[in-house]
Amino acid sequence: MSFKNAVRNTRHLENAWEPGLRALRAKDRPHIRPEDTGLLRGSVDVDSALQEHEPHAHRWDFAIGYRHSNRAKDCVYWVEIHTANDKEVKVVLNKMGWLRTWLGGDGKHLAQFERDFVWVSSGATSFTLSSPQLKQIAQLGLQHKGRVLRIPSARPS
Amino acid sequence: MGCLGLASGTFKGQRKLTAGDYMTTLNIQNLGQIKEASLTFGDLTVLVGPQATGKSIALQLLKLMVDAGQVQEEMAKYGLDWEHKLPEFLDVYFGEGMRSIWNEGSTLISWEGTPVDLPQMAKRKRPNKEETLFFIPAQRVLALRDGWPRPFTDYTPGDPFAVREFSENLRVLVEQEFGARGDLFPQQRRLKKEFRDLLQDHVFSNFHLKVDKFRSQKRLVLGPEEAKESLPYMVWSAGQREFVPLLLGFYWLMPPTKVSTRDKIKWVVLEELEMGLHPRAIAVVLLLVFELVARGYRVCLSTHSPQVLEAVWALKHLKANGAGADAFLEIFDAVNTQAMQKLANTVMEKSMNVFYFNRESGKTSDISELDPSAEEEGLSGWGGLSEFSGRANRAVARAAANGQPVLFK
Repeated sequence: MSFKNAVRNTRHLENAWEPGLRALRAKDRPHIRPEDTGLLRGSVDVDSALQEHEPHAHRWDFAIGYRHSNRAKDCVYWVEIHTANDKEVKVVLNKMGWLRTWLGGDGKHLAQFERDFVWVSSGATSFTLSSPQLKQIAQLGLQHKGRVLRIPSARPS
Repeated sequence: MGCLGLASGTFKGQRKLTAGDYMTTLNIQNLGQIKEASLTFGDLTVLVGPQATGKSIALQLLKLMVDAGQVQEEMAKYGLDWEHKLPEFLDVYFGEGMRSIWNEGSTLISWEGTPVDLPQMAKRKRPNKEETLFFIPAQRVLALRDGWPRPFTDYTPGDPFAVREFSENLRVLVEQEFGARGDLFPQQRRLKKEFRDLLQDHVFSNFHLKVDKFRSQKRLVLGPEEAKESLPYMVWSAGQREFVPLLLGFYWLMPPTKVSTRDKIKWVVLEELEMGLHPRAIAVVLLLVFELVARGYRVCLSTHSPQVLEAVWALKHLKANGAGADAFLEIFDAVNTQAMQKLANTVMEKSMNVFYFNRESGKTSDISELDPSAEEEGLSGWGGLSEFSGRANRAVARAAANGQPVLFK
């Protein structure tokens, strides 16, 4: 199943798929830089799509589909664009906890893809690459990027 | 140009700095591995980059820019003759074979905006002035042989001047100021008590550094305060062998007088302060470096330790957020005394610049902002010092996002 079809088969996301990066808010698009935009397989504003159904949940921001040149199937980049400081680590991990649970339920079709969970800084970053906070979130499967997520054409193995 | 600010605090006996002092720049083109370097020196300047990218050449060149007359005088005093020729001069100053760093016709150097004619400098002796830059080289462990500092003449003519001169300075210090047998460390009049305590904990494990005599030969040894038996140089830990020459360098720069600096020395170069040291010991050495900065020295470091940049990064953010001395001291696990608060407050006002020597381009970048969010990997990875952490984080995160957890027994 393609990323697009998986989105359309997901409860409450049936109409949320958008081509390219169009699902992202205009202010968020500069934070995502695909090397080859032709490899984009669409995007979803998960946060907005589920707002009505899960208003009090720690909803994740976006999902971006991408077909890397060295992969036979789509990959999904689960992207949270968020302030990057110590206090927000817990907030973002709560969101990730919600996302993992959702992927085990309503989002099960989207859980089948190879994926990255990525936290992109909405502004300045107040921890370093060697900080324990980044080690903690890495162990839980979350990568912190700077202000820009670069998606390479070929996915590093 | 990123920097943390201008100096305002001064210690007793410290020269007042003027705005002009902060404009010191060294520009280099086509010298050794350096294709293009533009360095602006702050109160603390840190050079980072892979091995053999020209950091040491740049620092030795800085020494030559500020102390040409003294360097020539010293070399002549010890019978080194470069025959007024640049290639020979480069070989005796930078070390054997270093004449190859000069590219006739394309090497350009300018100091404080003025072109420097190095061939002319080699040809004509500059007027001698007192030394203004104290250079602590990466090869400092060579300064001690069998536990005693080696004189300038103990080296071969092909050894770098910076190593020979440092060694000679230590010899003079130990023989003139610590000639008698007794403790070199700890000493009440050398270093603040707070530093002595930290060094005892993290470097010397409560041993004392003493002058001892073996047969007729004086030597430095380590041992418990009252014990007759002591450990000679060859059985010290690698870190202790690296640290003792550095400690003597700090002694040289922090005389036991009311004046806070040594003679006419204004600059200090310290190469690879981290060599052989555990991170806790590195933290103490960093704190000593900040003591030098607080005393009014302009300090230049080269380093391969992310810890040094973590400290600069933290100071920048502490200052930006109006944090006080307490936060500074917490980083170094230092006691919160009045003296240390004064040190912290003074350092927080100082300017700090960081330059990255890029192997691929041969150029330098000003990475003083130390922005972990920067788009360019060389900048966000702090000149390669954090890149490994970044890659390790990414690999672990990917495995945790996609893998099946394995339960280890």
